[in-house]
Amino acid sequence: MGKTRRLVLDTLKPHEPTIIEWADQLSELSGITAVNISIYEMDRKVENAKITIEGEDISYSIVEEIINQMGGAIHSIDEVVAGKEIIDDAATLQD
Amino acid sequence: MSLLRSMLQHIWEYDSLANIGEIARRYFAMNAFDGVLTIIGVLMGNLTAGVNNPKIVVSTGLATSVAMGVSGLWGAYLTEAAERKRGLVELSSHTLTDLNDTRIGRASRVAAVIVALVDGLSPFLAAMLVLTPFFAVGIFPTITWVYYTSLGMALLTLFALGLFLGHISHGNLILYGAKTIIAGVVSIIISLLIGE
Repeated sequence: MGKTRRLVLDTLKPHEPTIIEWADQLSELSGITAVNISIYEMDRKVENAKITIEGEDISYSIVEEIINQMGGAIHSIDEVVAGKEIIDDAATLQD
Repeated sequence: MSLLRSMLQHIWEYDSLANIGEIARRYFAMNAFDGVLTIIGVLMGNLTAGVNNPKIVVSTGLATSVAMGVSGLWGAYLTEAAERKRGLVELSSHTLTDLNDTRIGRASRVAAVIVALVDGLSPFLAAMLVLTPFFAVGIFPTITWVYYTSLGMALLTLFALGLFLGHISHGNLILYGAKTIIAGVVSIIISLLIGE
């Protein structure tokens, strides 16, 4: 089975716990080497966060469970990279 | 030991999620204040009625302290749990997820318990502190001395509460202490006048 090396998730989360705690929790999972979280929208109660995770072997189900435990919800999986290395999407004429 | 450390770590985490510390401090100060003033009332009532038997003072004081404790514990738990549940439901409607089994849900439930314990224990312990001279009646020459010592302890406790409030508000400690002691003095004076 292929190994997931990068995940980009669009999530909705309450203000607490903060993205610092989220990043701490996610980065401690086995198979994950780095986590990047940025907030791109915020209102009174919740905020939208883009989460980029990279590693040797990311388990989506565990990541999802941690996010749910922290009170967040995954809106969409925006990008996945799997295999032996990380590659970016190829440019096409349509781009 | 590691279990205790783990529990403390969880409570620390829940405090940042549910703001337990701030609410617990507020309830502690408010209810300890209530506890002391209520026991001042009990003491003054017994003093002006001419009660010389310390057992009567202890049993009325204890019953009052227990009632305050139960009232604080029960009332605070029901109120806090209801408010927290309401907040959780509202947040769930924003995140479109059920937050009951998340850290936020657990933090809310723990917060209600901790706040209830503080609300129940603070008036009980404050009242018991004021009553301690009545548990050592033998060291005093007369019962009147016991009353005066208890009332003195009550005023001292009120002063200490004032210092606590002054400390958390970064205000003038002595001024806060004076403000809280005045409440005790007023209570004593009014009780004396009623007794007259």
